[in-house]
Parts: sequence; structure tokens; C-alpha cells
Amino acid sequence: MTTHLSAAPIVVNPYRPSPARITSIIDLTPMEKLFEFRLIGDAAREAFDFQAGQFVELSIFGVGEAPISISSAPSKQGFIELCVRNSGDVTGALHSKKCGDIVGLRGPFGRGFPFQEMKGHDILLVAGGLGIAPLKSLINHIHDDRHDFGKVTILYGSRTPADILFRAQFDMWRHRDDFDLILSVDQPDETWDGAVGLVTKLFDTIDVDPKGTYGAICGPPVMYKYVIAEMRKKAMDADHIYVSFERRMKCGIGKCGHCGVGHQYACIDGPVFNYWEAMNLQEAI
Amino acid sequence: MFFRIIPKREIPELVRGLASQFHVIGPVAKDGSFVYAPLSAPAELRLDYDTTLLPAKEWFFPSSETLMRFTVADNVVIDDSVDETKRVLFGLHPCDVNSLLLMDNVFLGDNPDPYYKARRDNTLIVGVSCMPNEHCFCNAWGTDETHWGFDIFLSDIGEDYYASIRSVMGAELVDRYVAGRPITDDDTAAFQRRTAEFKAAFTNDVDTSQLPVLLDAKFDSDIWEKLGEKCLACGACSMVCPTCYCFDVHDVLEADQLTGCRVRTWDSCQFKEFAEVAHGHNFRDTRASRVKYRYYHKQWGYLSKFERVLCVGCGRCTRACKAQINPPRVVRALQTGLVD
Repeated sequence: MTTHLSAAPIVVNPYRPSPARITSIIDLTPMEKLFEFRLIGDAAREAFDFQAGQFVELSIFGVGEAPISISSAPSKQGFIELCVRNSGDVTGALHSKKCGDIVGLRGPFGRGFPFQEMKGHDILLVAGGLGIAPLKSLINHIHDDRHDFGKVTILYGSRTPADILFRAQFDMWRHRDDFDLILSVDQPDETWDGAVGLVTKLFDTIDVDPKGTYGAICGPPVMYKYVIAEMRKKAMDADHIYVSFERRMKCGIGKCGHCGVGHQYACIDGPVFNYWEAMNLQEAI
Repeated sequence: MFFRIIPKREIPELVRGLASQFHVIGPVAKDGSFVYAPLSAPAELRLDYDTTLLPAKEWFFPSSETLMRFTVADNVVIDDSVDETKRVLFGLHPCDVNSLLLMDNVFLGDNPDPYYKARRDNTLIVGVSCMPNEHCFCNAWGTDETHWGFDIFLSDIGEDYYASIRSVMGAELVDRYVAGRPITDDDTAAFQRRTAEFKAAFTNDVDTSQLPVLLDAKFDSDIWEKLGEKCLACGACSMVCPTCYCFDVHDVLEADQLTGCRVRTWDSCQFKEFAEVAHGHNFRDTRASRVKYRYYHKQWGYLSKFERVLCVGCGRCTRACKAQINPPRVVRALQTGLVD
């Protein structure tokens, strides 16, 4: 670059959060709450166009920022829903906020699930714990476009029945015939009549059309290789299996370096990768 | 490119002229070594310096800078202005000129960084040729030459500098502040002789062949454990590196707790918490994995995006590392499978 002393003024500061109002807070579990935000200003709302699987940087001045997956569907415009576990300074500060309070959001960032490419196929979604949050965005998006998809199967593993997120919605869906939802818990209680054990055990109970199915996986880091192994046993193609990675992030725009995974950055190259890509990323899985 | 012969004795006049319009920063002697610092007089400029402790990135991407000021109660930004101070960075060696081009890929590419961009747009670069010291290996990456990324580049040909002029502003400033003269064939011959001496003076021989393949094929090699055992995880390599751009961001409250600053500071992938996420899961919790990542990213991760390695061979990390972990040695270990 040759120096230009009379450069055009900077219009956009990608580090500057947009103010957003909390419009709803729902307690999901003792640790997780579902927050709904509305960006302030028509222009900001209209500019916020996202894909399932993308994330935002949640910004609370005086505390800091944290990357959070969007859990609402792109088909629902005008608000942004984040399912947040109280697990650090920023998420703790958010948990102490009330409806009507203002926080900051930056984004959407990253590469989401290939929704258009997935159309016309069966979908197999596998979530562990809080990993359901980004997948819920995809599930709801599929729901709003249901006729474009084949069979939709959701396998969702939790530690205990009390840890199951979005339970009210899933309880409704358990009785629908266009979503095959199978819940499993590691530690059942006396009320539990569903499956028990790791989510991978549920693969014994499902049929998969190997060439006609797209997979999507999100959960704790340890889960991926086992779930992928099950999908590969079902003969699914590596590039039809999508995973969403959690990594430490500061900027969300490929500069701060924290989210390096193999030779890529989770914030701009992911957080959603297909398994062929992920296989080529050192230390990814 | 345009050329001009500038007698060395005219450099103080050029610096004085530049100082009337810009903050002039250049290598100055300090405590037995050299640093880039604002010049208070042209005589302070030491174009005979070998290297500086810290690289030039400080002037574009400071070790600590305020990104924005905010109010806590309503979560609003009250100031996110950028630094548009007019500066000249006078006396960068080819490695440091090239390092800024590598930084540009990150900070001026997609989602340009307004803070870096403002400083880059408002800073003229005057480069100067050098001779390698025992730690230099810029020739391994081809960053021993520079053909863009500067306004003026001064190549030492004895009594004079053979000046390459790259920008309109560079040309105007040379016209205004130095007499100089056009180049002759003899000058170009002197420039070529000088270049040959420079190329012959390197003492490090770094075999960079097939590094991306070796980094993947030897990802599980025990060389990384051996290097990790030596690493002190101090992060000095990143701080002195002209191409390390990783940063941390944190909020600092004023005493009244009502307002504060969002500040970014240099960070290092060698620090333990660099890749740690909520609940303490750490994707690189061993020193071996972090040393490996630093090299993996520089010689392969960055390369895969920008087709250049993220190293300019300046040798600063070689000097800074108390555990003798440095690119020539790590590359040797990759080539031979042995840590020497």
C-alpha cells in the first residue's frame, strides 16, 4: 500500500456495538435464560440480516464482550434471540439485566449453516447441552420452510431432565409427525420416561438415507468425534456433515487471533464447517 | 518507480523539512540499543542502526490503545475517534516495511480496522537499506527486498543514497527539501554492487522448502514437546514480532464507575488463557501446543489466506527468546526431526 494522506473518512467502525433493547427474558433453567433483543433504529434492524449458525458479540460496557450464537430463525425478522448460560463476567452481567435495559450487539458474524444447499434433503440434527442454541435457529428456520425439506430428525442429549433447553417447544413437537425429536439424558430422574445415556446411543434407533441427508452437530468439544463417527457409520458424506465450533473470540472479524482453529479462524471461516473442512483443521475435533 | 540520488549530507535537511509538517519518528540510540522514537533533532536519527528492540507496529497498532469511551448506565459510546496525527516513520529496514504490508492484509482487508487504517493513511514511510546482523534471515522469505509499501526508500551506495520514490507525496517532499540529482548508470551499478554485498552477508541458512507440508505431516512430532519444555510462555516473541497482530480487549472503568474505556492490548498465543473458553476448557493448554500453534499459524495459517508467511526474518524474536526458540531453529527441527 502506498500512503495516502487524504484518505476517505471511515464510515463504519466494526468494533462499535449497536444499542439493543431487551424485550423479553425467559428463565429456561437455573443457569440459562432466553433473551430477546430489538436493535434500536429501523436502519439497524433492517441491516441485520443473518443465517442460522451465525453469532453476535454481546457487549456490556464496563464488563466486556462475549460471542453468542443466535438462536432465533432468520425467517423471524425484527428481533434477535440469544440463549445465554451464566458462565462468565459478560453473561453474568446479562443475567442481571431486566426487560427494557439496553445492551450492545455487534454482528452478525461468521459463516452459518448452508440452508439453501440443505433444501430438498433429510436433516439430522444432533445437539448436546447448550449446543442446541445455534441449532434451534436452524430448526425454526426449517420449520418455517418445512415443505422444502424431507425427514427432519433431532437428537438432543442433556445431563439431566432439568437441563433440557426449550423444553416447552420440544414437548409440543414430540407429538408432531413432521419432526422426529428424540431426547436423551445422562442422569434421569423419576419423572423421565425418555432415553437414557449419551446422545450417540440414539443412532441405533434411527434410519438415515446416507446420500440424501445433511447433518448438523453442536455441543461440547468432546462430543464431536463420537457423533461424527456415528454419522460416518451411517455412510453419510463428510461434506454433508456440518459442525459448529465454540472458540474464544474478542473481535469476531478475523483480527484478534483468539479463535484460531488449524489454519483458519472460527469467527470468519466458521463457526460452521463441514466435516471435510474440519478434518483438515488441526486440533479441531 | 522514480529514482533520485540524495547525498547523505542532505538527510538532516530532509528530516528538518519533514519535521515542519509531520511528527518524525525514527531509530534513535537508547540504553545501548535502538528504538523507534520521535526525533527532537535530525542528528538523533541513526540510519546506521542494526535493529530496534520493538518493531514499527507500535505506531499503527499500539501496545495499548483506547478503542472507545462509553457510559455505563445507558451502554452508549461517547467517543470512538481515531488518531489522525500526521507522521513520518523514517528509517525502516526492508523487513519492517514488508511487515506492515502483512499487517495490512489483516487490518485493511475485510472489515477494515478504523484505528489501524487512520494511522496507516496518515503516516509516510521512508525506508533505508541495511546490512544483515547474525540474527537476520529475511532472505529466507524474500522480505530482504521491498518494492512497495514505502513513499521513499533510501539505498546506501557510499556517499549517497539511491532513492526509490514510490508516491506523489514522496516525490513532492524530495523535490521540496533536497537538491539531489537524477540517477546515472554508474549509480545503478553501485546499487547492484551494494545489493550483491548485502545478499552475500547473510549467515543464517534457513531451508523453507515445503513448510506447509511439514507442519501438517509432523504435527504430532516430538519436536514440539521438546520445544514446549523449553518455552517459558513469556510471550516476548509476540511482543517484539513486527507481524504478530493478536490482541485482547477489556473494559476499564473510570474512578466514578459511570464512564470507562474499551481498551485493546497486544496479546500472545503463547499465554495459557489465549484459547480458553467458558468453563475453563482450553484448546491449547500445553506450552508445546502453543509453540506449535505460533509456527503453524505464521507459516501455514496466514499463508493459506494471504499467500505469504507471517514472518519477515527480522531476528527480533531470536534476540528476545530466553529459551532460544526462534524460526531458524524451529524450521531446522521441522526439516530434520531433531531439536538442536
